[in-house]
Amino acid sequence: MNIDYHALLPEFILAGTILLVLVVDVFLPERAKWFAMPIGLIGVVGSLAGVLSLIGAGTRESFGGTYVVDEFALLFKGFFLVTAVVVLALSLRYFREGGFYQGEYYFLLLTSFLGCVMMPSSRDLLLLFLALELVSAPGFLMAAFRKGDVKSNEAGVKFFIIGVLSTAVMLFGMSLIYGVTGGATKLAEIGVALDGVSGEMETLAFAAILFVVVGFAFKVSAVPFQFWAPDTYEGSPVPVAAFLAVASSVAGFAGLLQLMFVAFAGQHEFWVPIFAFLSIATMTVGNLVALQQTQVVRLLAYSGIAQSGYILLTFALVTDDAASNRNAFAAAVTYILIYGVMNLGAFAATVAVSRRHPTLGVADFAGLRETAPVIAVGMAVFMISLAGVPPTGGFWGKLLIFQAAIERGGTLGPALAVVMLVNSVASVFYYLVVPRQMFLRDAADPSRLRVPALVTAVVAVAMVTLVAIFVLPNVFARLAEISTLVGLGA
Amino acid sequence: MSAQEYAFTVLAVVGGLSAIAVVTARNVVHAALYLVVTLLSVGGVYLLLGAEFVAWVQILIYVGAIVILFLFGLMLTKAPIGRDTLDNQQRWLGALVGVGVFAGLVFLIQEAFPVQDAERFETFHATTDAVGESIFRNYVLPFEAVSFLLLAALIGAIVLARKDDAS
Amino acid sequence: MDWVGWAILVVRVAIVFFGLLISVMLYIWMERKVIADMQTRVGPLRAGPRGVLITLADGIKLFFKEGITPTAADHPVYAVAPILAMFPGFLAFCVIPFGTSVTLFGREIPFQLADLNIGILWILAMTSLSVYGVVLAGWSSGSNYPLLGAVRSSAQMISYEVGMGLALVAVLMYSGTLRMSELIAAQDTVWNVIPQFPAFVVFLIGAIAETNRPPFDLAEAESELVAGFHTEYSGIKFAMFYLGEYVSTVTVAAVAVTLFLGGWRGWWPFDGAVAWIGPLLWFVLKITAVIYVLILVRATLPRMRYDRLMNFGWKVLIPFGLVWVMITGVVVVLPQEYGNRGRYIAGAVIVGAAALATLVAPLFSHRPASEAEPGGQPEGREVRA
Repeated sequence: MNIDYHALLPEFILAGTILLVLVVDVFLPERAKWFAMPIGLIGVVGSLAGVLSLIGAGTRESFGGTYVVDEFALLFKGFFLVTAVVVLALSLRYFREGGFYQGEYYFLLLTSFLGCVMMPSSRDLLLLFLALELVSAPGFLMAAFRKGDVKSNEAGVKFFIIGVLSTAVMLFGMSLIYGVTGGATKLAEIGVALDGVSGEMETLAFAAILFVVVGFAFKVSAVPFQFWAPDTYEGSPVPVAAFLAVASSVAGFAGLLQLMFVAFAGQHEFWVPIFAFLSIATMTVGNLVALQQTQVVRLLAYSGIAQSGYILLTFALVTDDAASNRNAFAAAVTYILIYGVMNLGAFAATVAVSRRHPTLGVADFAGLRETAPVIAVGMAVFMISLAGVPPTGGFWGKLLIFQAAIERGGTLGPALAVVMLVNSVASVFYYLVVPRQMFLRDAADPSRLRVPALVTAVVAVAMVTLVAIFVLPNVFARLAEISTLVGLGA
Repeated sequence: MSAQEYAFTVLAVVGGLSAIAVVTARNVVHAALYLVVTLLSVGGVYLLLGAEFVAWVQILIYVGAIVILFLFGLMLTKAPIGRDTLDNQQRWLGALVGVGVFAGLVFLIQEAFPVQDAERFETFHATTDAVGESIFRNYVLPFEAVSFLLLAALIGAIVLARKDDAS
Repeated sequence: MDWVGWAILVVRVAIVFFGLLISVMLYIWMERKVIADMQTRVGPLRAGPRGVLITLADGIKLFFKEGITPTAADHPVYAVAPILAMFPGFLAFCVIPFGTSVTLFGREIPFQLADLNIGILWILAMTSLSVYGVVLAGWSSGSNYPLLGAVRSSAQMISYEVGMGLALVAVLMYSGTLRMSELIAAQDTVWNVIPQFPAFVVFLIGAIAETNRPPFDLAEAESELVAGFHTEYSGIKFAMFYLGEYVSTVTVAAVAVTLFLGGWRGWWPFDGAVAWIGPLLWFVLKITAVIYVLILVRATLPRMRYDRLMNFGWKVLIPFGLVWVMITGVVVVLPQEYGNRGRYIAGAVIVGAAALATLVAPLFSHRPASEAEPGGQPEGREVRA
């Protein structure tokens, strides 16, 4: 039994901050409740510093190997904490002006991020499950935070019921895996044990894997388990929607990557077709439905579903060949990170507009080039990047997946690549709807939109990052290459 | 069959039937009471496996606290009790899916763990000591994660349920 | 087990069952007499010498009364509720050792029905089940006063159960065992009541609330709720509630004696064949003393207002119980880990915690005016420890 306290430093700092926010909130007078946000921000930055201090410190294990801090974990932890900074920045004005319970909101948000930060280090079924719940459960509550609004209530209830259902399915699958492997909970042990089973036992293991995959498919809103996402995103407060679309779904993918590439890698012949189906269905349905959306958050929700489809594609590329697997893994990690940046940016721009137009129809973006030029340019870059068109980071992300698909060979790889290509082209149509409004239409009210400085900063940084990734792809691609997951590619 | 297997059969049948009754009961309070029976039989299964501590904790927490809170909530909110309010057009579809999944899983599990293999699974005597060591040493991190989870659920529930004076 | 073993088991169960019934009968008589005395009345007088058979007479009367079921009642639940109210008390008593043992027919027969190795947990589980009788009775009556009584009492019992549980946790941490016989063995030299006095107080308060005795008898506050959860019950079913309440009281007193007051331990001069009488007598004596205290509490304190009851439970009793569990943990663990040095550290930690609490307590002492109670009397929130 060993505990590596340095390796757990980010979690400790974040947990301490969470409790501090909760306690400080009690003593703050009503008009100073927003003060919870800077406290949270300092804590998140401190936690980020903790992550940075661990870079290059090698792979560190705690609690008998159930909690591992390796490069993969650090990369994702860093990503989640940066996301936390952004979501906090987006939240300040929105929650301060809306008459919300602010202290409790920041508490829930940070708790959710604690789950996110634990996720990529969890190499044990129990921990993985709890981390996922720690991400989701505060999410249910935050989705319903606009208490007076029926849509927000609907958002919370839908998310909750679907979330609980998927949890139940996943947990049942995990319990079957526990039985089949004779009591293994560590991912690496499960991988070894599952390779040893055969016959009827293997069939049961397949069923268990299917259950677990279905559970995660709900979380990452893969078709046919996607129907909660648009309603939930639309009803939630916009910063919460940003959190759900980025942190929550990336956390789902982080967990899924570990499970599929470490624990269930030996059974890939069984689950590759499942992922191929999920991926094709998800990107096609997401893109087709997105074409008909007139509300920006719903549009982003369906675009998020389509993007999940692209990420799921990488899972369908797993073969016996370790090098090709590593390619697919790197493509997945890179795409997830780029997706996070561009989606966060898009939501930041949406938050800016929501101050004047809370309904957030596509037409509400009309004439943004005059009312808020930085936001308009930023939003255009994010949309182009989401569509995967140069000169943006999204282009490289898609290219990497495309490449990995071609390199996988066989009939499946190229076939998936073609489907992805067709989908990307189709997606351009709806991604360009918003820029068209912003640049080709005039605003009904030409006065300048007052955008909080923090939101503008987020949009600007995300925009610069995306362009920088396009210009210097090698710097960024290296991040994914060094982030080898322990136990990968055996 | 040994006495243990007879006991297990009884517990499984009673627990399973009352679990079905939970979802088909017309009255929510009755559903909660059937849930008590199900949870008790799960506790009984733990006892059969020799996990005495877990069994009584199951009864203490689930039967003694959680279902009571259900009942408390039902009474306090005067939740609609009766069939129509809870009904849904897709019950037959749901039943079909449920039966299908059940049949498939029974088949798979029966194939993978045949009954005659039951001796393979001996009862283990999980002492209170061992349970405590396990939770507070190897699994202390999940334990803490759960405490954060419950705290978040508690606070969020209060926020959502609270009557706003402002609005 | 051969047939003699089974027969002995049956006889033991029967003896405990009827012993409990008889003791309940006597304690009810005692309660009425003591309260009458405090109110300068004479109390029951006619049935038996000094009215000692009054409970029996009441029981017979209730048995022959007509049982009325309200038309709006939920019949099966209405019928089951009194049984559920009665049994947990009996079941919890199973693990209480009420004496040493006696050797009969060459077999050693312990004065305890079952020495489970999770005895305390069993008691907690059984007391937590006792809520069902109250809740279901209130709900199934199909009438408003019982429903309100049930809602109140379920909230009250759940809340105080936590405090009581914390007291038990402190004791089991201190003794390092969950088994009742070992708990008594651990009180060989010093009864737990001395080192664990705060836990004893928390336990007694929680126990009074768990058994719905005054001053916590809000479930049946007659001035507000007619008779609370059992308003609609009559005849034998009402008798079962009545019986259940007093069985729980005796059981709770027995638990208090076992956990805190050294169980059956006491001075007894005789050895040999009559050696078992002493412990039994001591056990009965101690239970009587605890019940006497409970009766005194009932006779002196007025019923608490409901919101104060909940405030006290959640804001005083539970935090205090938690702090006490922490202190107990520090005191038990540190010397184990660090030897003598640990003892000093433990002392320093406790003193430091106390100092910190004194410093922090003023922060909590004033509520903002807006949060004052509806009654309009701003009341200082009390923080102990």
